[in-house]
Amino acid sequence: MSEFASGYLVAFFFWFSISFGCLGILMIQHLTGGHWGFGIRRPLEAAAKTLPLMLVLFIPIILLSHDIYPWSHEAEAAQLGNKAKYYLNIPFFVGRAVAYFIIWSGLAFILSKFSLEQDKTNSVDSAIDVAQKCRNVSGPGLLISALTITFASVDWLMSLDPHWFSTIYGILTIGGCLLNSFAFMIIVLSQVGNREAMKGYIGSKHFHDLGKLLLACVMLWGYFNLSQLLIIWSGNLPEETIWFIRRRGGGWEYVGPALILLHFAVPFFLLLNRSLKKKPHIIAMVAGFLMVMRLVDLFWLVQPEFHGGVISPTAVVVTIVSAGIIGAIWLGLFFKLLSSNPLLPLHDPYIQKEAIVHGGH
Amino acid sequence: MEANSATAHQHQEPVLKDVIPVVNPGHNFETVSDKISSIVLRERTPITLIMALGIAFLVMNLLMAALTKLLYQGVGVWGLNTPVGWGLDITTFVWWIGIGHAGTLISAILLLMGQKWRTSINRFAEAMTLFAVACAAIFPLFHTGRPWFAAYWLLPIPNTMALWPQFRSPLMWDVFAISTYGSVSLLFWYVGLIPDLGTMRDRAKNQIVKMIYGMLSMGWRGEARHWARYETIYNLLAGLATPLVVSVHTIVSFDFAVSVIPGWHTTIFPPYFVAGAIFSGFAMVLTLLLPARYLFNLHDFVTMRHIENMAKVMLVTGLMVFYGYNMEAFFGWYCGNEYEFYMIYNRMTGPYWWVYWLLIFCNGVAPQVLWIKKVRQNVYILWGITIIVNIGMWFERFIIVVTSLHRDFMPSVWGMYAPTIWEWMLYAGTIGMFIFLMILFVRALPMIPMFEIKTLLPQSKVRHKE
Amino acid sequence: MKDKKDIYGLMAEFDNPQAIVDATRATYKAGYRKVDAYSPFPIEELSEALEFHPKVQYIVLCGGIIGGLLGYGLQYWTSAVDYAINIGGRPLNSWVSFIPITFELTVLIGAFSGAIGMLILNGLPQPYHPVFNVPRFSTASSDRFFLCIEAIDPKFDRRATAEFLKSLGALEVTEVEP
Repeated sequence: MSEFASGYLVAFFFWFSISFGCLGILMIQHLTGGHWGFGIRRPLEAAAKTLPLMLVLFIPIILLSHDIYPWSHEAEAAQLGNKAKYYLNIPFFVGRAVAYFIIWSGLAFILSKFSLEQDKTNSVDSAIDVAQKCRNVSGPGLLISALTITFASVDWLMSLDPHWFSTIYGILTIGGCLLNSFAFMIIVLSQVGNREAMKGYIGSKHFHDLGKLLLACVMLWGYFNLSQLLIIWSGNLPEETIWFIRRRGGGWEYVGPALILLHFAVPFFLLLNRSLKKKPHIIAMVAGFLMVMRLVDLFWLVQPEFHGGVISPTAVVVTIVSAGIIGAIWLGLFFKLLSSNPLLPLHDPYIQKEAIVHGGH
Repeated sequence: MEANSATAHQHQEPVLKDVIPVVNPGHNFETVSDKISSIVLRERTPITLIMALGIAFLVMNLLMAALTKLLYQGVGVWGLNTPVGWGLDITTFVWWIGIGHAGTLISAILLLMGQKWRTSINRFAEAMTLFAVACAAIFPLFHTGRPWFAAYWLLPIPNTMALWPQFRSPLMWDVFAISTYGSVSLLFWYVGLIPDLGTMRDRAKNQIVKMIYGMLSMGWRGEARHWARYETIYNLLAGLATPLVVSVHTIVSFDFAVSVIPGWHTTIFPPYFVAGAIFSGFAMVLTLLLPARYLFNLHDFVTMRHIENMAKVMLVTGLMVFYGYNMEAFFGWYCGNEYEFYMIYNRMTGPYWWVYWLLIFCNGVAPQVLWIKKVRQNVYILWGITIIVNIGMWFERFIIVVTSLHRDFMPSVWGMYAPTIWEWMLYAGTIGMFIFLMILFVRALPMIPMFEIKTLLPQSKVRHKE
Repeated sequence: MKDKKDIYGLMAEFDNPQAIVDATRATYKAGYRKVDAYSPFPIEELSEALEFHPKVQYIVLCGGIIGGLLGYGLQYWTSAVDYAINIGGRPLNSWVSFIPITFELTVLIGAFSGAIGMLILNGLPQPYHPVFNVPRFSTASSDRFFLCIEAIDPKFDRRATAEFLKSLGALEVTEVEP
């Protein structure tokens, strides 16, 4: 059963990280502006609006929690003491998860509603007022999201080993979500970018900018992971190093170096290349490769805590199959949501200006 | 669409009611050069500035006195003792290095992100970086006790014992990080200055002044191919400086984090230190820029847009830092390790409790008023907030350095630390030195990059080839 | 041949960026190759008009690679080869600990080789250059734009080239003393 449960957790978190990451990017993009957000605003909104679906897909994790989380067992909980009593227990775990999803979904729907409201405005001034409303929601929203995803990452991933902890974990998770989402957005834009509605608005400049952001995310991923490794490796405290020791045998000793190479080094050097970032189909291929690596990375975060520390082929199959099934449902909903609204937020007051100035080349 | 792009630019600026321009309208190439270079070449030094220079000079002398005493008598004049072996010196070192981060951040990261508002403030902030790094370097150098040996110990120079520095130690990483950061920041600043030094040369009337600027500009003449290479390198330097600036405070955080001391050994330290550095750096830029803007009447180039944006960066990075405090507290409880828990409990309720809560107030609570637009646009309140943040960030480093050390694992080695007068003098002296150097800078060099401001003017736009 | 020797070239003055870009394009199209365009701020189109594409970025790449190898090599050689000593049970080749200094030296040498390379390729520092003999050239760093055709250009002809520059709408055409 643990093969199924743990595989499902990896697949769930993979797709969840896109839903959540897109919500985060959407809010960042409202706050900072910049034309990189122009083409992907509506895809971001559609992806963020899949968050309620992710709550439904979270139910199996609750049902399977005894197979996933050691702290859900009496004996382990007794050993954990207060931590299990006040934090790591099923009722509070479920309650927190529901609360996270309500907050995130609420933000996604409010921002999407404002954005559509802006489409109906007929003067620049009223469009600016809507943009101001988006910013007013996004500022506090980003703050709340950062806090909730930190606790969500502790609940869902870090507590797989309830004794282990790392204070950078929340930030690592945020970085992973953003990376996965930017990669997904590049692919989406490369697919819908030549549709009629997008003609003349989306150019190589947008891909170049998104490619730079993807590169930044790859670098951040490397930076956060190196920081965690270097600090734990140098400190050499048994309660912390156990996490890395578990990933040094049973086949995992090949996955770690492979991640450094394929999740960091190769995409890093590819994305340094300026002309590569400007070609939609090539950058989309790099982005797709990075999404695969995201799945591998999540597998590496989750799976060594199970099956006696050996890579389980069953779990690999379960992960791939469930990622495929969840993906089919998720993408179905995503494209339905995407097609129900105009593809471009043409009434955005700041973006119009950018489109005039930078359009065409 | 192409043919009209130049006109489109002229129309675009005032259309949006909530967008404040980065350069106030009405300027042309000549007025930009004139306004900025006159501050150095034509105008008399404002009397307030001369007085400030005098005061800064006097304060700087405290540094000389403190260092003389230290070298004459030894590090015993400081309040350091077991268990607190790092005190005000390392606290202030980290504080200065943090302040030194805004310069490169504004110059490099904002350049890469295409943020045009960086242009008016980047050179000022870069100069600040250089002087802050110079102030910072004093502390660890003199902490070694015998700074004249420092080069011999710290750099990989072959010696009679055939020993090499210990490269697994974060203190060695620090040596490389700080010296790289200092050198690359100086390079970036100087490369950014070259074309403007040419302008200064051409506008100076005094022959000697002309010659000095001429030598510094290396004979820059603004040829198209030179500009092309120049722009390529400037952007690449920005690309290199961006991870560099992150790495520097990361490595400073490693000084603490790779040890096993509760309160130091925590994986969130790298990003949390970097955020804190940017936070304090932007606070210091505003602390200095707001008076300079008033004194030299720079309202056309340092507009409300710059000020508000910097306030926003402060708010965001302040929240990141506050996130760090909360994570430390949460994981202090969650980890279930009694030493970790005691560390955070001791910070909140131990003998230094008031420093901890002041820090929470200064960095966590006070900056929250920046959510309000009116506050961000009120230079007086904003200036007050920047002072509070500067103080708060100093307290943060004090909390990290001192409270983590003063209660060791065994109560038998618990102790207290209070800085002596010589440490306070040293700290005050570096502030004097910093302000002294900043004043010399604004009097000797164009504090706003003229050629970059010109590229922001609508008349600088050129049609693309058909 | 005589007139090619006594002057450095001919210099035309313009007062806006569009004019200099157009003039430079026309000059290049007319077959002149020893052409220099001067502007008080970078104009991307101007170097494009001269069909110039900088290669200086490869110097940074090489410098960075050399710096990185040097940084790691220094640490590896001193810690694992020249004076191998067990410190805290860490492996002699502690690659995790060697990353920070490797990175710092990559940036240090990459940045300096790039900046120095840029100056060398630009021929700077240059204490003397004939264009400064034109009195109006002191405005080239403030608000004026100049186009200079050098006398060593095979197509250069003192009179015809001056006429050509005037036909491009130059405010003034001056001979540049060598």
